[in-house]
Amino acid sequence: MAAELSARADGPAARLPAAPAPPSAFRNFWSSFGEGKGAVLGLAIVAFVALLAIFAPLVAPHSPIEQFRDAVKAPPVWQDGGSWRYVLGTDGVGRDMLSRLIYGARVSLFIGLSVMCVSFVVGVVLGLASAYFGGVVDVLITRLMDRIMSVPDLVLAILAVAVLGPSLVNTIVAVTIVYVPRYVRLVRGSALAELDKDYVMAAKVAGVGPLRLMLSTILPNCLAPLIVQAALGLSDAILEAAALGFLGLGAQPPTPEWGAMLADSREFIRSQPWIVTFPGLAILITVVSINLLGDGLRDAFDPKMRRG
Amino acid sequence: MTALKMIGIGLAAVLLGSTAVSAKTLVFCAEGSPENFTPALNTTGTSLDAARPVFDQLVEFERGSTTLKPGLAESWIISPDGKTVTFKLRQNVKFGATREFKPTRDFNADDVLFSFHRQSDEQNPYFKVSGGKYDYYNDMDMPKLLTSIAKTDDHTIVMTLSEPNVAILANLAMDFATIQSAEYADYLLKKGKPEQFDQVPVGTGPFVFASYQKDAVIRFKANPAYWGGKPAIDDLVYAITPDPTARVSKLKTGECQVAPFPRPADIPELQNDPNLNVLSQPGLNIGYLAFNAAKPPFDKKEVRQALSMAIDRKAIITQVYGQSGQMAKNLIPPTMWAFNDKVTDYPFDPAKAQALLKDAGVSGPLDIDLWYMPVQRPYNPDAKRMAEMMQSDLAKVGVNAKLVTYEWGEYRKRLQNGEATAALFGWTGDNGDPDNFFFFLGCIDGKPAASNVGKWCDPTFNANLAKARQANDQAERTRLYGEMQVIEHDQEPVLNIAHSLVYEPVRKEVVDFKMSPLSRQQFDGVDLK
Repeated sequence: MAAELSARADGPAARLPAAPAPPSAFRNFWSSFGEGKGAVLGLAIVAFVALLAIFAPLVAPHSPIEQFRDAVKAPPVWQDGGSWRYVLGTDGVGRDMLSRLIYGARVSLFIGLSVMCVSFVVGVVLGLASAYFGGVVDVLITRLMDRIMSVPDLVLAILAVAVLGPSLVNTIVAVTIVYVPRYVRLVRGSALAELDKDYVMAAKVAGVGPLRLMLSTILPNCLAPLIVQAALGLSDAILEAAALGFLGLGAQPPTPEWGAMLADSREFIRSQPWIVTFPGLAILITVVSINLLGDGLRDAFDPKMRRG
Repeated sequence: MTALKMIGIGLAAVLLGSTAVSAKTLVFCAEGSPENFTPALNTTGTSLDAARPVFDQLVEFERGSTTLKPGLAESWIISPDGKTVTFKLRQNVKFGATREFKPTRDFNADDVLFSFHRQSDEQNPYFKVSGGKYDYYNDMDMPKLLTSIAKTDDHTIVMTLSEPNVAILANLAMDFATIQSAEYADYLLKKGKPEQFDQVPVGTGPFVFASYQKDAVIRFKANPAYWGGKPAIDDLVYAITPDPTARVSKLKTGECQVAPFPRPADIPELQNDPNLNVLSQPGLNIGYLAFNAAKPPFDKKEVRQALSMAIDRKAIITQVYGQSGQMAKNLIPPTMWAFNDKVTDYPFDPAKAQALLKDAGVSGPLDIDLWYMPVQRPYNPDAKRMAEMMQSDLAKVGVNAKLVTYEWGEYRKRLQNGEATAALFGWTGDNGDPDNFFFFLGCIDGKPAASNVGKWCDPTFNANLAKARQANDQAERTRLYGEMQVIEHDQEPVLNIAHSLVYEPVRKEVVDFKMSPLSRQQFDGVDLK
């Protein structure tokens, strides 16, 4: 996310001659983003987790679904009886914990990013349509979104999965349904504010078609809050998916999914606590770092909070 | 001065008196909520346990054993041809009162007639109430067996059977043959709310029902007029605690005194706790994997055998049951007299399994649904983990198992409808007779019984099942059951996984709690220190 963003922001800067004059958009962004140490730390951890997920087959010491029946519930390396073969130990049926956590990052990030992308696109389309066309379209879309938001998040997601049947793809669909209204409302709100402005009027007068007006005139000016929402929504989506997995409604076994791993190892909380600790830590660290990153983005994009 | 002394003595007396009569409350951390309180409608131990304190049967099991003793019937006579059973009923037996209903008469033959007619007679106004499914009654083949039931006077019941059946008394001691109040039934019918009959139970048992909040608590009070003597504890509370870890914590802190189904992983810790007694007993149970013989390719016995050989049961038993499991080769546990030790178990042999699958014409990867139950059972402490291990074993012989589960009630319903391809399930014996195990693979008139989740019918197996019910000679029955075990092993309608040792931790202050081989929870006769 951050990488994409910086590339986009970098583009115009690179085309400029090496003038000392105004600082480039990226530098500007980076200087305010870098002010918060938490944001940088968050970015670093998120990047690390993302790299682990991408290169999981190279990094993971074992297959995440292979059951080592000779080493069930092996303790992590620093405990008595631990070995370097299973650095973080093994779970209740002998699968390597470290490998499962690494592959689990893949599943969680995949769910998070998919939900984010789909709800971003759907949210932008519906939100812009709602703001631009107004009238019946607006009423229909906003009422539908209100209806969705009136049901608690997790209950709605459970309902969707119960109807569709539990699987990884259906988890994504369910969580997307839950998160779309936020994007729609955000886009609609900012677009409505922009629609009245003079530059939009100028574009209209100049004869710009409705599609172009929506996508290339108005949308770029609504992006900043959307990007922040997307970053924070990523962590929400990961949490929601983990909750579904915990309830047995998410990815199905033997897929290594953090929430499901947590649920499966609850019974060991007294006898072999590490089995239940690591998946929980993985969720915690990832979600906290994404939130820190999101906060950093918000600070950087919000002109009111930017210094100088 | 003397007045003060007097007051002091009086006060002391009051205090002493109050401790002497202070109520003894026993809290049992039950593993789930009952569906209702009419045992005839239910099949799960959870529901039957919840109704047991309130009710009696004509014949009962001695607490903690499978020996029969007189219950509401004082005595019985079986005619020489074995087809007529005459019960002499106990007199002066009172029904417990509830807030709404006060019984006006003692227990008599009408109550017995009502309790059986409800399950057998479609004309009975209660036949269709609360779903009207009497699985036990039907699966035990009672509609065919029980030709008539009649009273000759208020305290004599005559049952006529279509054929002699050695297990009839043991069957009548089971929960489905519970005696309920006919007077209460009429009372509710007049008030127009017969459903309440199954929600607020009225019986002759050692305890009287007080209240029930779903997923929270069931309260019972001792029945002072109980014919077997008032129970030693005054209040019995079922605190419904589905999570096993929570049950262990509650037990350790003394929030409950008895808690069933500990997780195998927690047992060593419980055994080390000085405040607890961990009781254990080999359970009369079997956990198995049923193959649906009605769905190809499981209609071929070679496929069923192949899958049985592909699964590493030894590893499963170590990981899932811990110290509490014993590998099963037959349907019945080895402690039963009918056990056939000559049957040789299938080895764990993935290579042979693959060859068998090939011979059976299964080429390429085979996709199956593997069902696992969402709850702990006495015969299977962790079905999900078991299913995951099976999934991994099966993948090695080219069988892709998709894991499926449903809410427990739904699971059993769908399973009995034959929707699964392969499913984990099990059985806990409820009367100690081998017939009570073999019947669940049986077919009635060529159609699989509801409990026969593998939908497997074998003519010789069923013929033997019927013959063994009529044979009075134990040697003959042993021979018949022995043959059935050979057939079952050859046909492999189910893969027998394990008989489990059942553990039940109780706090030290509980006196004379007895575990039942039938996995019944029973609290009359239990006291607290």
